[in-house]
Amino acid sequence: MSDCLFYIFAAIAVAAATLMVASRNTVTGALGMIAALVAVAADYFLLDAPFLGVLQVLVYAGAVMVLFLFIIMLLDVDKTSHERRSAAKWVLGAIVLGATVGAITYALTHADLGAAKAAAEAAPATGTEALAAPLPHGTTAKVFGYGLFTKYMLPLQLAGFLLLSAMIGVVTLVRRPKE
Amino acid sequence: MTPETAFQTLLGAPLAAAAISALFFRRSRWGAPVLSLAAAGTILWVSLQLLLGWDGHEALHTSYTWFKLGDLEFKLGFLLDKTAAPMLFTVSFVAFFIHVFSIGYMDDDSARGRFFAGLSIFMFSIVGIVLADNLFMTFVFWELVGFSSYMLIAHYFDKDYAAAASKKAFITNRVGDLGFLLGILWCWSHYGTVDFQVLENAKLAGSGVPAAIGLLLMCGFIGKSAQFPLHVWLTDAMAGPTPVSALIHAATMVAAGVYLMVKLSVCGLFAPVALDVMLWSGAGLAALGGLCALGQTDIKKSLAYSTLSHLGFMGAAVGLGRPEIALLHMSMHAFFKATLFLCSGSVIHACHHEQDMTRMGGLLKKMPVTAAAFAISGLSICAFPYFAGWYSKDMILTAALVNGNYGAFALLAIAALGTALYIGRMFRLVFLGNANSDEAGHAHESNAWMTIPLVVLGIVFSLGAGWFLSGTHAAEGARMNGLFPASATEFLAHGYHELHHTAAEKGLVLPMLALGVIILVVGLGATLSFYKKTPGDDALRVKSPKLYAALERRWFDNAYDWYIANVQQRVAEFYAFFVDKFLLEGLTIRAIFAGIPAVGGILVRRFLFTGRMSDYAAFFVFGVILYFLYSVVL
Amino acid sequence: MPVGILHHLVLAGVLFAIGLTGVLVRRNLIAVYMSLELMLTACTLGLVAFSKQNNAMDGNLFVFFIITVAAAEVAVGLALIVALFRKRGTVRSDELTSLKN
Repeated sequence: MSDCLFYIFAAIAVAAATLMVASRNTVTGALGMIAALVAVAADYFLLDAPFLGVLQVLVYAGAVMVLFLFIIMLLDVDKTSHERRSAAKWVLGAIVLGATVGAITYALTHADLGAAKAAAEAAPATGTEALAAPLPHGTTAKVFGYGLFTKYMLPLQLAGFLLLSAMIGVVTLVRRPKE
Repeated sequence: MTPETAFQTLLGAPLAAAAISALFFRRSRWGAPVLSLAAAGTILWVSLQLLLGWDGHEALHTSYTWFKLGDLEFKLGFLLDKTAAPMLFTVSFVAFFIHVFSIGYMDDDSARGRFFAGLSIFMFSIVGIVLADNLFMTFVFWELVGFSSYMLIAHYFDKDYAAAASKKAFITNRVGDLGFLLGILWCWSHYGTVDFQVLENAKLAGSGVPAAIGLLLMCGFIGKSAQFPLHVWLTDAMAGPTPVSALIHAATMVAAGVYLMVKLSVCGLFAPVALDVMLWSGAGLAALGGLCALGQTDIKKSLAYSTLSHLGFMGAAVGLGRPEIALLHMSMHAFFKATLFLCSGSVIHACHHEQDMTRMGGLLKKMPVTAAAFAISGLSICAFPYFAGWYSKDMILTAALVNGNYGAFALLAIAALGTALYIGRMFRLVFLGNANSDEAGHAHESNAWMTIPLVVLGIVFSLGAGWFLSGTHAAEGARMNGLFPASATEFLAHGYHELHHTAAEKGLVLPMLALGVIILVVGLGATLSFYKKTPGDDALRVKSPKLYAALERRWFDNAYDWYIANVQQRVAEFYAFFVDKFLLEGLTIRAIFAGIPAVGGILVRRFLFTGRMSDYAAFFVFGVILYFLYSVVL
Repeated sequence: MPVGILHHLVLAGVLFAIGLTGVLVRRNLIAVYMSLELMLTACTLGLVAFSKQNNAMDGNLFVFFIITVAAAEVAVGLALIVALFRKRGTVRSDELTSLKN
């Protein structure tokens, strides 16, 4: 069942992403992007990370993409710029796409994906090393919060600070200069 | 107090005082002087505690790892041993009273914060040199004293001569320090250590030691102690305030070179050749400096030549294989020479910064304390029997005779005569006769800040600093020996009594005493009467202008000027114009700079610098794919 | 063939490649920016997959931070695009050639 779901969502994600890249209309592209992000979020559920899936839908597909749409409509981009479609451009795109997929496939098929897992299981952490050791995997938000407020306390604080500075930066950037 | 805390306090107090003064009290009138004096007082107090509580035999040593490079370990350590003890006492004692004097002397200066911060940083560095346990650490503090000396000489930096003098002192010292650094590195590669204790315990024979190591290490001494041929900076360094001249350029910093030579000599690092070089250059400089002092009318410059002469004495003592006597003379010299400088400072201050001796005169009645201190320290420097200077200076002459170095003995005797001559001349010109200028006429005794150091250093210590040598060894368990802490006298007394014993066996004690008295009487008598004849001018300049000009002339400065203008400048110009401008800039850089665009410019401009963001991104991706192919596939 | 980590990673790789193509061929800055976000999402998908594979929470936590940073980044980036549009009147990357030469 879940295998079936994976293939469905993967197909949706790839199709939506292609639509986003290929569509001439930016609003259509943004809607495609939302669909791709939701499909990826569904994949998170399949990967036992429901919290991240929810987060992805709320933050990415929700807030971030709404911001994109808002800006697209604010600037009315499609009227001021029409993309010309030249054959050379799409040849380039196809080459890049092919090369990247080829490279990634090559890397994936030649890598020993079980090695890291074996190493992690071979040396279980004890005592003072426990904090530096990998946190055990869990699906609940509680496990998530525990990790954030213990091992990743400092990065969490820094992320908060980053959000604040981004907010200040945005306010400064979009303020109209005094005439 | 444990030795470790004591060492930390000794270095920490002046550093803290310097930092706080420099950061917060630059404009304050009293903040920096009080802090600096407190730091100097702390140093004196802690070092007295340390010396009085120490038995004088087992060296006190603490060591920390500074940093590690593989197997290579650099250590910072403090070592109080038989040579460091007298130096520590002398430095802390003299420095404290010079700090007191400075407060009186600098009362009308607007940059007291800078001055006292400089003094404190100097104290930090000199204590570091005294207590360093290896040559690397010595070198670090060695450079720091150079820096503080530079800063203090340039105290009146708005005067061109002071700025020039500070530069001269710094650059001249660099020349010596280069040799010193090479010596340290060579010592390290040859013996595998630069630790004083390890070197001393290795019992290096002296004759099997490469002469070059000793000679290179000597370069540091030659630069810092203003020895021939790098002695030229010291007389110019008198451009700094007088307490600085007293502390740095007479009593302690220039003597640090001697101290280092004594330490290395105890370690046995000098080959006989190196000792001979030191002996002859020291004796020669002693005689030269003693005579040149007669050719200066500036009271401080005259005293600077005297310092050169006495540093020569110390160098000669090390060269004669008597490091104990050298250290003894360094210690005694610190007391009486500091006093002489402080007296000159007191006089200069009273005469409103008039430094020309021929424009002074008749100050004996107006400044009795200064005159008394000058007279006693003057007799001490002339080796009047049983005064401090007699114990050491007389012994250096005796040592030359005992070792059979008659040439060196003759040079040192000339230097001794020169000492008597210039001290007599100075006393005659400054304190006797009538006032030769309005400033001298209106002079009056300095305030207590200045007279108390004169009394302590001049009347008490210039007179009695050597008395611990008159008895035999200190009584068992006694903490003081004469005016010195007992633990600080072990090394000095041992060397002194050994030499005294040898001299007594050869029947040289009484003849030397007689010779000393003859030199003293002849020298003082001759000058006191000779300089009476021409008030308001220098008698020698009137009577024999050519001889005076020869003494006054700065032979080595002129030689260096000629060398720099005619040799170094030419070489530098050759490099600047031919190698740099023509070969490097013209042929190499400009050719490449112009050539590459000519060849590839069109291609690059057409295909690479498109200005389109997506093209740049494509180049980036292309690069990543290439790297991937290189790292994974190949 | 049961779905394993490899399948998720291949999906991530394909999404990444599509995003990269978009970055390279699109001329509209907003579209380029969306493609960039797609590449970022593809990377996070890889992290989540590895996190499950290694039975460790760290990858998931990392994704949390990536989403946070991406949100901040999008805000600033779009603000820059708005400022650029005001100044130049265009958001087409081939018309913004002041980097030329």
